[in-house]
Amino acid sequence: MTSLQPIAWETIEALLHRVQKPGRYVGGEYNAVHKPWDATDTHICLAFPDIYDLGMSNFALAILYDRLNAQPTFLAERAYLPAPDMIAQMRRAGMPLYALESYRPVAAFDLLAISTAYEQLYTNILEFLDLAGLPLRAADRDATHPLIVGGGHGTFNPEPVAAFFDVFVIGEAEDVIVELVNTWRAVRQLPRERQLHALLNVPGLYIPRFYQPSYLPTGELSAVTPTDAAAPPHILKRLMPTLPPTPRRQLVPNVEVTHNRGVVEIQRGCTRGCRFCQAGMITRPVRERPAAEIVETVAAIVDATGYEEVALLSLSSADHSAIKPLLENILERFKGRHLSLSLPSLRLESFSVDLADMLSPGRRSGFTFAPESGSDALRRRINKDIATADLLAVAEEVFNRGWRTLKLYFMMGLPGETDDDIEAIIELVRRVQRLGLHIGGRKTEIHVSVSTFVPKPHTTFQWEPLADRATIERRQVLLREQLRGRGLRLAWNSYDATRVEALLARGDRRLNAVVETAWRNGARFDAWDEWRSLEAWERAFESSGVDVDNDLYRRRAEDEVLPWDHLHSGVEKRFLRYDYRRSQAGELLADCRDGCHACGILVNYPGLWTAEWKCPMHGE
Amino acid sequence: MSDAWRMMNGERKMANEELRMTHDEASGAERLSSISNLPSLRYRITFATQRTLAYVSVLELGKIWERSLRRAGIPLKYGQGYNPRPKLHFAAPLPVGCGCEADLLDVWLESPLTPEALLTALTGATPPDLSVSDIRRVPEDEAALSERLSAAEYRVWLREVAPEEVSSAIADFLDSTSLSLPKRGHKYQGQTYDLRPLVEELHLENAPAPWSGLGMRLRARPGATGRPDEVLKALHLSDVPQRCTRTRLILDG
Repeated sequence: MTSLQPIAWETIEALLHRVQKPGRYVGGEYNAVHKPWDATDTHICLAFPDIYDLGMSNFALAILYDRLNAQPTFLAERAYLPAPDMIAQMRRAGMPLYALESYRPVAAFDLLAISTAYEQLYTNILEFLDLAGLPLRAADRDATHPLIVGGGHGTFNPEPVAAFFDVFVIGEAEDVIVELVNTWRAVRQLPRERQLHALLNVPGLYIPRFYQPSYLPTGELSAVTPTDAAAPPHILKRLMPTLPPTPRRQLVPNVEVTHNRGVVEIQRGCTRGCRFCQAGMITRPVRERPAAEIVETVAAIVDATGYEEVALLSLSSADHSAIKPLLENILERFKGRHLSLSLPSLRLESFSVDLADMLSPGRRSGFTFAPESGSDALRRRINKDIATADLLAVAEEVFNRGWRTLKLYFMMGLPGETDDDIEAIIELVRRVQRLGLHIGGRKTEIHVSVSTFVPKPHTTFQWEPLADRATIERRQVLLREQLRGRGLRLAWNSYDATRVEALLARGDRRLNAVVETAWRNGARFDAWDEWRSLEAWERAFESSGVDVDNDLYRRRAEDEVLPWDHLHSGVEKRFLRYDYRRSQAGELLADCRDGCHACGILVNYPGLWTAEWKCPMHGE
Repeated sequence: MSDAWRMMNGERKMANEELRMTHDEASGAERLSSISNLPSLRYRITFATQRTLAYVSVLELGKIWERSLRRAGIPLKYGQGYNPRPKLHFAAPLPVGCGCEADLLDVWLESPLTPEALLTALTGATPPDLSVSDIRRVPEDEAALSERLSAAEYRVWLREVAPEEVSSAIADFLDSTSLSLPKRGHKYQGQTYDLRPLVEELHLENAPAPWSGLGMRLRARPGATGRPDEVLKALHLSDVPQRCTRTRLILDG
């Protein structure tokens, strides 16, 4: 048993001369919350299972840090997974993973909330638990260990990591995390099993040990059924009726991180309905933060952090109904105060170019757009409502206003895609490049990123197979041969990495053993080209007895039980099924701000509607 | 005030010429003093960093200072261009892994504040391991800190190595007349430099257990700056747990 006392600074310091970027491992950030351990009764460690640079950029964790520390009796600290060089030093020194505020071992906390934001974090979660000295499987832990809670987009199918967690938060965590902690506090003296039983009373929590999957003789999943009368057969995601206030006293890192800036979430959810996009489905309904509140929050963040840049976060920033006056208002208010604003995720239309123009007078770095596919027909299938002709007009506008670098994001392996669609990407990129050269001259740079489509749970394409290796690799060769030369840059994914992501995205509990074996084989940092080990995964596949190819390449039947069917995003499976048929017919589905398509949100959350919702059918 | 402000900026050159024309016979010293009757907007901050802030790069420390000053509501003077940066000049970059006891930073403001007001505003606005010990106004036309810097003193504490070992490594080092080390950075690949003449002083120092201490004074001139980590490398002591602090900057004049 490792000590639960704080690790001495001298002990941590003794490792730092041997690692890259040691500032990741010491804390000391402005606005970090240091509460006295003994004056608080519940100690929560918030974890992002990848390096500091990414973890500090994760806004969900920032929200929960603020929210939990606002409770006088709670203490919340942070931990991230160290980079491999530091992990090696810590293991050699026998030092357990520690939280960055108090330097207490992670194992000393009452609750450990780990982000399960995306599939490439899964092996890192095991590395994190192991480095913390905690048993990997919930079944091997008891009430002397922290209660381990998962949350984030990945929990909309947490089955591949179900064995490692005690509880998953389904949906938006702001309220339910506090309910969870308070419910746990009342039963903290009980054995773990009974603690978890008490948590069944909190809506929006999924406690995997109270559910049992069963399978058909052919291997398909036949049901996931509760094993306890108190466990609900379906868990409906939690939803904040109005967006909770954005944290103001945001952490300011001392060392450079991926997104080193303040953040205001201006909108949650997306009404566009892209058929491949999981975020757009599971974060419904769209809620807009009122413009006045945004302006006031930006001011408060700048005062509390000194940040010189604030990002206005959303899945589709240009969709906020007051975006332009909002930007004008902020720019006017901060005139001469050297504040820059950034708008991630701009939709492909000239309005977006107007907005970007307002934000960067004179400075013209890169402009990013996501046409997703090369042909109009395929764009209709994925419900990306823009024609090539309009796209070219927008590109022209971008070059005319002085941008010289245009970044274009595409996907390949989409349902219904043929080699002709890849030729269409090539043709589109070349036309855009010609426009750029004509308008902006030889400094024009086109950066093309083509990732492989991975079918995700709770989306219209959740029944689709992953495109096979031969198809993807042939298309990657096509692109590489055609998109080369001066002013062109092309990026793509390794197919092996895509396979792992795709398997985990839609897997069931039979993958628990595969994830663990892959980790034991050395798989971790699956999102990092330089650190991951795809070979470790392939060996895990071979020894697992799981029919990986069948899981990846089989088209799911429409009436098949899917591993995430008991977890409800509020969007009805029936709606996705209709949308799937519309896709096959090449039909678009209009933006639902303009007319409700009955996705299910309004019926599943009766009484929650507020003026922030952009669902048009309210009150009916 | 706004007149003075204009004088300090674009119109100072013109003001100089006017002075030269009207007081042709005046000595240089008199001319200077008449300019410095205007309030200087240049301030020199003496500061210390320790523990967590010993592990930041010089660029990161610049950002930490910029944000601290912004949080304090201090009206920083920014440069020109599309992406203006505040005017902050350090005397010398601190190596990653090294804290400091009395480093110097010059900042320029948009409007004058008393040094006391600056100090008060900064209280609570810096990260926990950054502290300010002194702020004073300095003449606008004083030479840049980096130009006046001649040397820097460092204290290094080492663990897992006995003072006798450190002592004999120091003796070997001081016996040598030249010590060739590879230059740092990709663009200098294959090139070497001589560390020995950059080490003005090197000696064993007392340190609390379990540390062994050493002190050094390294030259710090443009193109001839010694680094404490390079000295440790030459002493074959770089791969031991260590705590490095720059204790003093030595300026000319």
